Amino acid sequence: MAALYGEVSWFCCGNSWGPCGSTGHGSCGTCNSGSRQHAWPNASDACFAITRPDRCGENLLRRTCGHVHTTTNRCNGKAVATSIADCGPQTDLFCGERTCCGTVCGSNRVIDLTPSAYSAIASLSSGLTPAMVS
Amino acid sequence: MDRRRLLTTAVLGGAAGLVGATALGSLSPEDVWAAEGANAKINPGDPDPNFVEGRVTAVSDAVVFVTSSDGTYHSIRVTTGTSIWKLNPSTLDEVKVGDGLYARGVRMPDNTLAADSLWVNIVNLNAHVDSIGRGHLNLDHHGQRVVAHVEQGRSAAVYNNTPAVSDMSMLQAGKHVKVIGAWHPDTNEITISTVYAAV
Repeated sequence: MAALYGEVSWFCCGNSWGPCGSTGHGSCGTCNSGSRQHAWPNASDACFAITRPDRCGENLLRRTCGHVHTTTNRCNGKAVATSIADCGPQTDLFCGERTCCGTVCGSNRVIDLTPSAYSAIASLSSGLTPAMVS
Repeated sequence: MDRRRLLTTAVLGGAAGLVGATALGSLSPEDVWAAEGANAKINPGDPDPNFVEGRVTAVSDAVVFVTSSDGTYHSIRVTTGTSIWKLNPSTLDEVKVGDGLYARGVRMPDNTLAADSLWVNIVNLNAHVDSIGRGHLNLDHHGQRVVAHVEQGRSAAVYNNTPAVSDMSMLQAGKHVKVIGAWHPDTNEITISTVYAAV
């Protein structure tokens, strides 16, 4: 797939503490915060109907549970390979949102990583990061 | 010296090693990521051996004992180079029994995790704003009510692509937000670090 540019964030899933305790194992039934996984907005018809990245001008391919994407933090060049374990993020709720580090920017939330995966390329406290997904 | 070797030296070398780590300067996340060749060895979808999630059961000397949500036990070694986030940059003495945490580091031969970073009580919530009170937001997170407190001088808001500001007045009930914050253990309350909102 051609490289996709946008924002990456993180989300918790699986058994966990605090507010994350109610999130479950994701739409694929395999999601855990400690595993190298991610959520993808076009993982099924039902998923796409919720996330609607097309409303933000994002044409994301249908990719289903287990498909591997590589996400590169465009602020530091670090990359992580993860497999789809959930549906998300809900891209259309934040159409046009933009995150920058210096002159490098990413628009629209296109992928959510587990804490394990996100922390391999950025600090969890950063929340949103410009990214390239391939 | 790469990050893995540095942490190994710091942990296995005891106090002298810790001083050595300090003398080499702050152990920035970039240093860690640059040296963390282990990233390439972890298959997509697999558990990450260099990452721990769980609740703190004890803190002794420079070791944080954690029980993960799957019931496994972990010992996390903190060095002078470990960065600790607990709403703000923090120190080990602010890590308490009952706190939740995520940790990233390097596995030592004795299976302890030499920590590069600890994120204590950090949450990242995608939620619906039910209502806005004096100094707090009432959020709906997966059907659960979460009270998100605003801490003056610390909590910030990002509206679309604006820089973070302390002004929360543009937040609206009925809208969705993403909140990075710190959980108050064993409650449904958090303190907001940054709230991201579309306006």
